[in-house]
Amino acid sequence: MRHFLVMTAFAALAAVVFGAVAKETNRERFIYGLKVFAEFMVIGLVLAWILYFVPF
Amino acid sequence: MSKGDQGNINEEKAPASAWLMGIAAWLVPGLGHLLLKKWWRALILGGAVWLCFGLGFGMGGYLYKYDGSEPGIPGLLQIPPMIGDLGTGILYIVCWVLNIGFSHEAEQAALPTFEYGWTFLIVAGLLNYLSMLDAFDIAAGRKS
Repeated sequence: MRHFLVMTAFAALAAVVFGAVAKETNRERFIYGLKVFAEFMVIGLVLAWILYFVPF
Repeated sequence: MSKGDQGNINEEKAPASAWLMGIAAWLVPGLGHLLLKKWWRALILGGAVWLCFGLGFGMGGYLYKYDGSEPGIPGLLQIPPMIGDLGTGILYIVCWVLNIGFSHEAEQAALPTFEYGWTFLIVAGLLNYLSMLDAFDIAAGRKS
């Protein structure tokens, strides 16, 4: 659970900064931030799932 | 790129104030946007960098520095993460002057969050580089 929380904190912080510096309007920034957050989380979980089966 | 395209590129020189804002944004996370009166952006970007840095230390992380004590490749490998850490500006400088956070004891390294810690510290610096570029672009009039 700790690892998941740390990953969530990381994704949230990175998404906030990415969202704030990109795009033109606040709405676009918010949507982009959410997208970045979701991408970090999904890719992190998929990688964790794949690495679980790697024997070393 | 054709010769005609090259002629269309508008190479406006950034004003000195843009460079100053960039330096301020690097030196104190959030300061560049504060000086530009972008209050929310200062709070969000500065807050994220300070929080990331604090969490990194809280998780038992340590900062990298290249002091030349380690010869060869292992010594040189300290440079890229050090550049990342350096992005936190005054936070790194204060730690460096006071010699805080550059070494780690065995107990600290045994923490389950130890690896996350130094990663967060590096990411704090990298995020502040992004924030710095944003402040520079705003001050140069390249974005609003």
